[in-house]
Amino acid sequence: MLSKSQARTFFISGTLACAVAFVGLTLDTFRRIPAQTRAAAITPDVARGKELWDHNNCMGCHSLFGEGAYYAPELTKVYERRGESFIRGMLTDPEAMFKGQRKMQKYAFSEPDKAALVAFFRWTGQVDLNGFPAKPPLARQATPSRRDVPQPQIFGQLCIVCHSLAGQGGNVGPALDGVGNRRDAEYLRRWLRDPPAVKPDTRMPKLGLPDSQIDELVAFLEAQR
Amino acid sequence: MRYESQRIAWWFFATCMLLFGLQIVYGFIMAFAHTGHDGLHAFIPFHAARATHTNLLVMWLLCGFMGSAYFIIPEECETELVWPWLAKLQLAALVAVGVTAIIGFHFNWWEGRKFLEIPRPLDYLVVIDVLAFIANIGMTVWRGRRLTTTSMVLFFGLLMAALLYLPGMIPTNNQTIDSYWRWWVVHLWVEGVWELIMGGILAFLLIKLTGVDREVIEKWLYVIVGFTFLSGILGTGHHYYWIGTPRYWLVVGGVFSALEPVAFLGMAIYAISMARRGGRNHPNRVALQWSIGCAVMSFVGAGFLGFAHTLPQVNLYTHGTLITAMHGHMAFWGAYAMLVLAMIAYTLPLLTGRNLYDSTASVFAFWTANIGMIAMTLAFAVAGITQVVLERRLGMDFLQVQTEIQVHFWGLILAASLFTLGILAFIWVFIRSGWPVARVSAKGDASDVSALPLADQAVQGA
Ligand code: HEC
Ligand code: HEC
Ligand code: HEM
Ligand code: HEM
Ligand SMILES: [Fe+2]
Repeated sequence: MLSKSQARTFFISGTLACAVAFVGLTLDTFRRIPAQTRAAAITPDVARGKELWDHNNCMGCHSLFGEGAYYAPELTKVYERRGESFIRGMLTDPEAMFKGQRKMQKYAFSEPDKAALVAFFRWTGQVDLNGFPAKPPLARQATPSRRDVPQPQIFGQLCIVCHSLAGQGGNVGPALDGVGNRRDAEYLRRWLRDPPAVKPDTRMPKLGLPDSQIDELVAFLEAQR
Repeated sequence: MRYESQRIAWWFFATCMLLFGLQIVYGFIMAFAHTGHDGLHAFIPFHAARATHTNLLVMWLLCGFMGSAYFIIPEECETELVWPWLAKLQLAALVAVGVTAIIGFHFNWWEGRKFLEIPRPLDYLVVIDVLAFIANIGMTVWRGRRLTTTSMVLFFGLLMAALLYLPGMIPTNNQTIDSYWRWWVVHLWVEGVWELIMGGILAFLLIKLTGVDREVIEKWLYVIVGFTFLSGILGTGHHYYWIGTPRYWLVVGGVFSALEPVAFLGMAIYAISMARRGGRNHPNRVALQWSIGCAVMSFVGAGFLGFAHTLPQVNLYTHGTLITAMHGHMAFWGAYAMLVLAMIAYTLPLLTGRNLYDSTASVFAFWTANIGMIAMTLAFAVAGITQVVLERRLGMDFLQVQTEIQVHFWGLILAASLFTLGILAFIWVFIRSGWPVARVSAKGDASDVSALPLADQAVQGA
């Protein structure tokens, strides 16, 4: 039967061996982190963005690299998913973007601070996370729209936050499937320029899009029949 | 109670009760926010509630460990604490720092790294405070008349916990490196050195409550903490899958963390078999219930529910979802909250001289809190599984999924109310037991099985 001193030897030698292996792996990891995280791309702006991220405890509602709270969206890929103007919108007035939804803290960030946070998110999106977040394996393939009008990039970043198409997207506004049957180009153009001008009590904010993007969007929406 | 200075433990345990109560209040604030009722948003936004909830948890557990050490170390080392005044000062300072931190959270003053939210200047104060504590018990062990394995394991657990707080303070502007060091604190605490503390305290309780020979209990203590470190150190890798660290962590973390439940299973089997083997009946049955309950629930919460999401194939989809919250609650409850409550249940009659251990409230507290916590875990589990399927597998929008799962947070609130009832009963027993007044007696406590001749005194030294 095992004696107490044998048990002690097992404890001490096992712990030492594992601790040594762990320190070794840590050293190797630190050698590789600069390449894997594109550390060269950590500009003063990105560093400032991280500082703002920490000192406002954004992690207390959100997660980043999957770490943090479970109350608000995961933000690692938010730059790719939402684009710059949407992120700036959230950092200016979250209520304007998601009225009546779960609340985000309203901040009084200066323009350089917003730029720093955007730069930080651009960097986090580029870190190689070994495949996280994974593509949803059971997601329905977005059906290609009729008449083959390509989906404008801004639609996938901005409109999809509140609207869904083919079952994918948010539910703040109505689904846009078949919107071309309901609305004509003229109405859509007026609407996208300034929703409150068309319908004063609407919850869709004025997004301030340039005309070129509005044209693209109108063509795309009209084709949804 | 054999030594005057052990009485200090009571003040630490009273602090535990206070902070624990407050922690639960903040839990409810978050649960209501999840159901869409965030009326307090303007004063206590979610991130402030969360930081307060988790930091209060860590603080009351640390207070509980310190109180336990101040009770156990003099008894094991057969000497008075060297500096009882330092223990009091150190408790007061810890509370002052904690209260400052928590008020700060409500005014956007923090460091914003999950579990390490305390702002940097306060970090230094915590370190100084914990060093004072370590010095106090370290000197007591050093001057003591007896060196036992139990006290050594407990002492080294506490010392390592203090040292492992330091990597969390290394400055960096790379989020990956930040996260890397953060886990040295968070993971190596709960799945490493805190288990040493747990092993030490449980061994002490089992020696006192079951009367099994110290030599046998301490031998298995070595085996179990041996398994803890064999799996837990490299098991840190289960947090290095997706944070921008090399791919080999998927293998290292997956294999070693999958072995971690062995240590918890060992702890459960050990506690149950020692209780069986003891044969003698200690009158404080509820303390034994909390001790064995701790070993069993830690296996369920940390071992079983930890394993459920530790393999990289699973974790890719569950990472950062309510599944983690499910595991976090049951693991912290089983392993550490129950441990401190076990210690309080055991020491309270000795510290105050009032035996309320077989009162209805004591028994009610044990069962209601545990059933409530199991139900809370189930509520988090249902919400978490639904979230993983809808958001991570089907690709539905985050906020839309959150609306879908709101109903499970009503379930959580219900379960948490039951749990809270149990904790209130525990606090009630604590209050009714009164101030610490019991007289010390050189022979130890008449009710301790180990105070009977043969069991405890047979073996001296490790
Ligand atoms: C009190 C909780 C809370 C805090 C703190 C918070 N957020 Fe948010 N955030 C939310 C919620 C909830 C949403 C989801 C949209 C909504 O309902 O407003 C959100 C949405 C966002 C989005 C859009 C994400 C998407 O995928 O649509 C960005 C970007 C964002 N937050 C950035 C930040 C940054 C940067 C900070 C810190 C400076 C921060 N948030 C702090 C709660 C919070
Ligand atoms: C912050 C949320 C939000 C964003 C972002 C948003 N919308 Fe909307 N949208 C709404 C809401 C809410 C309505 C419903 C308005 C109402 O009826 O009051 C709406 C209505 C509409 C309508 C009218 C639908 C109908 O059937 O009448 C169209 C078209 C539309 N949005 C297009 C867009 C496009 C294109 C974008 C991207 C540039 C966009 N929306 C971005 C919230 C949003
Ligand atoms: C008493 C012991 C334990 C406690 C108190 C505990 C607690 C926690 C907590 C609070 C978290 C969330 C941490 C964060 O995101 O910052 C976590 C994460 C995790 N734990 Fe544990 N745990 C314990 C043991 C274990 C064990 C034994 C395993 C594996 C077998 C395990 C597996 C995991 C995994 C895989 C995660 C990451 C979840 C994710 O990806 O989001 N845990 N644990
Ligand atoms: C009784 C009432 C309680 C309620 C209603 C409650 C509720 C919650 C909620 C809603 C969260 C936040 C999850 C999120 O980020 O969205 C949370 C986090 C947490 N709670 Fe509680 N809680 C309670 C008690 C406890 C107890 C007793 C413990 C410990 C024993 C505990 C430990 C934790 C931990 C460790 C976290 C962080 C989890 C993680 O990051 O994964 N809670 N709690
Ligand atoms: Fe871990």
